[in-house]
Amino acid sequence: MNDMKTLTRKPAVWVFGVLALIGIGCWIYQLIGGLAVTGMSNATSWGLYITNFMFFVGLSAGGLIVASSAHVFNIKSFKKIALPAVICSTVCICCAAMFVLIDLGGIQRVWRIVTGANFTSPLVWDMCVITIYLVINILDIYFITKRNEKAVRYISYVALPVAILVHSVTAWIFGLEIAKEGWYSAILAPIFVASACDSGLSLLILSLMGLAKAKVLEVGSDLMSSLSKLLATFIAVDAYFIFCELITMAYPGTEGANEVLATMFTGATAPFFWFEIVFGLLVPFLVLFSAKRRQSKGLVILSSILVICGVFCKRVWLLFTSFVTPNIYGAPGISTGTFAAQQTPIDMWMTIGTYAPTAIEILVTLGVISVGILGWMFLSSKLLGGKGLSTEKQDEQ
Amino acid sequence: MTRYALAINTGRCMGCQTCANACKMENNVPMGMLWNRVIVEGSDSFDGAEGEYPNLKRNYIALTCQHCENPACEKVCPTGATYKDELGRVEIDYDKCIGCRMCMAACPYNVRTFNWADPVRDPEFNYGNKNVPVREKGVMEKCTLCKELTDKGETPMCVRCCPVKARTFGDLDDPNSEISKLKESHKVRLLLEDKGTRPQVFYYE
Repeated sequence: MNDMKTLTRKPAVWVFGVLALIGIGCWIYQLIGGLAVTGMSNATSWGLYITNFMFFVGLSAGGLIVASSAHVFNIKSFKKIALPAVICSTVCICCAAMFVLIDLGGIQRVWRIVTGANFTSPLVWDMCVITIYLVINILDIYFITKRNEKAVRYISYVALPVAILVHSVTAWIFGLEIAKEGWYSAILAPIFVASACDSGLSLLILSLMGLAKAKVLEVGSDLMSSLSKLLATFIAVDAYFIFCELITMAYPGTEGANEVLATMFTGATAPFFWFEIVFGLLVPFLVLFSAKRRQSKGLVILSSILVICGVFCKRVWLLFTSFVTPNIYGAPGISTGTFAAQQTPIDMWMTIGTYAPTAIEILVTLGVISVGILGWMFLSSKLLGGKGLSTEKQDEQ
Repeated sequence: MTRYALAINTGRCMGCQTCANACKMENNVPMGMLWNRVIVEGSDSFDGAEGEYPNLKRNYIALTCQHCENPACEKVCPTGATYKDELGRVEIDYDKCIGCRMCMAACPYNVRTFNWADPVRDPEFNYGNKNVPVREKGVMEKCTLCKELTDKGETPMCVRCCPVKARTFGDLDDPNSEISKLKESHKVRLLLEDKGTRPQVFYYE
């Protein structure tokens, strides 16, 4: 109860609490009005929610991969951060699950996925894997806090492959669709795992810095330095996979691939693509490459933020590039089915897919993220001893 | 076995959109969307043309569910709401659809249409065939090959209303049907054949 009291004294908690409530309000509005209150249409049928779903599964999987590696490969220095890593991972997977549920048009019928699951659907695989993954996270937290070292090690042996699987299955939701030139690729799952590792580790580094600042946890500079080194490695692997994907797509010079690449390099999704390449991969890698620069806290924080933003941009260009040009192109195009289309027949058509998130969509997204941050603050203060928080309380008194 | 399909004569099609309207009226398709639409292939403007003057061509494609033999949409549907029925049609069980739009991402032809909002009809009543179920908000819909008509052995409305008789409906598994003979005797075009979905709908000239 003490933890709760100290938590509610923090102004940040109130800010995120209000954002969460606004988000819930907007979601209710969306349930009443339908998904037409979002920017999605028959031409671009997935939007910000699915982008965030991919993004948060990645953040989650990355954290757990690092945490379970500590026990699987017996890396002693990493064991200390296993608990904060699993907390991050649990919170992020809950956010991911919320995003996918919010994206459903008929959430009142979602039980059909249990009673009539079609096991050829990657979405069903994803639901199964995410459920298993969440259970493993919770068990992991339980045993770490109970200091049951043996149980933690056994769980880690399962957690590591499941963490890799959870992001691979998320990749297969996209990567197995032959309809979309920019998605259908064997390397999509490895790319997702690599981007999960770098974004998840970045989030872990940021949360460790935050916890250290709140005096909840001591993180030595040796540990920080080796985490940053690992991050540099993950960034390099991610960049390498993306390069493999691009060259395989570009080399044959097929019409469909050229269109996708043109959209990515110079078209609608180009800002996101180039941000990822330059600021999400190149800059952080060059910063973290040097052992000297890795010592600087500020540079490590900056690189971590850049990596996370870069991976978010990656989700954006990956998802939307393939929605831009329909396979069968021709005017008047696709009948969009939006609010505008219902009102004015002339606004019904899109020859190419366009999309911009609406305010409702953005507020719902911020709401989900706020719920995640609140969950993280609560779990961190509850499970990481709340030592720092109690000192803070004494300071205040 | 039965494999109901459509044959569309692109040489006869003049882009009048009658099939699109006939479909909309028969199937009670709400405002803002169509199950069946006619596009000018490769053109940027309505009733435009493809290419550069003077080398222009205008090729109308009446685009609807291709009722694929290997439907990408069916595989990815998490609840089995999209299914291939015993008459070879790809259908949707609206009660099972959870609105995840997985099928929409998987369909290479962009022929599925989603109820993003409560359906609006102008005029404000259900103008469709009384046997056609009404779809609610949050549900996917698309060409059913006029299930309610073809179940009774009748012809789909788009075929019936086409003023130039560009459309033929029939059973591909019956070698004596008109559609089978058309497929046999003409050089046919399947849309996006390289995607491997094996459309049952085919185009010829």
